[in-house]
Amino acid sequence: MSNNLDTYLILSGILFAIGSFGFLARRNAISMLMSIELMLNAVNLSIVAFGLFGPRADSVAQGSVFALMVMAVAAAEATVGLAIVIAIYRNKKTPLVDEYDAMRQ
Amino acid sequence: MLAKLPQIIFALLVMGAVFGIAALMLVVLHQDWEDVLLWLLAAVMIGSGLLVVTMRDIIRCGLAMIVCFLALAGIYVLMGVPLLGAAQVIVYIGAISVLILFAIMLTQTKDAPTRLVFQTQAGPASIAAIVVAILIALAVSATDWGQIERGARLGTEIMSRILFQQFLFPFEIVSVLLLAAVIGGVFLAKREPGGPS
Repeated sequence: MSNNLDTYLILSGILFAIGSFGFLARRNAISMLMSIELMLNAVNLSIVAFGLFGPRADSVAQGSVFALMVMAVAAAEATVGLAIVIAIYRNKKTPLVDEYDAMRQ
Repeated sequence: MLAKLPQIIFALLVMGAVFGIAALMLVVLHQDWEDVLLWLLAAVMIGSGLLVVTMRDIIRCGLAMIVCFLALAGIYVLMGVPLLGAAQVIVYIGAISVLILFAIMLTQTKDAPTRLVFQTQAGPASIAAIVVAILIALAVSATDWGQIERGARLGTEIMSRILFQQFLFPFEIVSVLLLAAVIGGVFLAKREPGGPS
């Protein structure tokens, strides 16, 4: 089981599906950001799994370095996203995304 | 305390079921330790991930997300990339989760937990997510990956050599990106003088 690429890929697919459900279904903007973090983690897991079973000798290290870069980009994304949510909250006094209708009128 | 009794009993039952299946795998089915540990960590990760997207109180969602990231760090260690597990703990649990918890505290209103958690499209979204998971599982199990061998355990020295020789330019770009994100975050979240509250 742990020597099989399929296990890790199916695991990461399930985590990605959970994250996409949360992103589509939750009303709170911060919940949607947390779901995005779950999806990024799922992608990271699949990258590391592909590197672990890669054809070359250094593909494990390459996959891990790639995952580290994804982590850094995820940190940047979380910073800017949460700053945007806080800035909107200061104006609209609500974290619920379906009450942000300033551009709909 | 007494009102929380059904929840505590339910949590104990779930933990007992998970550990019972693990013990069954270990003793009766003669699986080796790595498989059982991977199964346990995967169960914890999927379970706490489901809690993240379904629980009502958003602070508890944030705490469940920490559990999910911790289980994923354990999976990384099992896969033989312990440095990545350490980075997962430092970056995700130490930085991003704490940032998200701070943002939750800053944006929570009094009536938020009592109001509706899901949008109206929650039903179609759940169907779409289940379809995505099944499609990924089918596609993965139908693909022939060829003759693949599991790579060796990754030491810190090899990884740092790859990171600072082969991937030096992306590393510098990421540092510039992080600087830009810090400046952008401060600028966006800054309170304007004379603005609302």
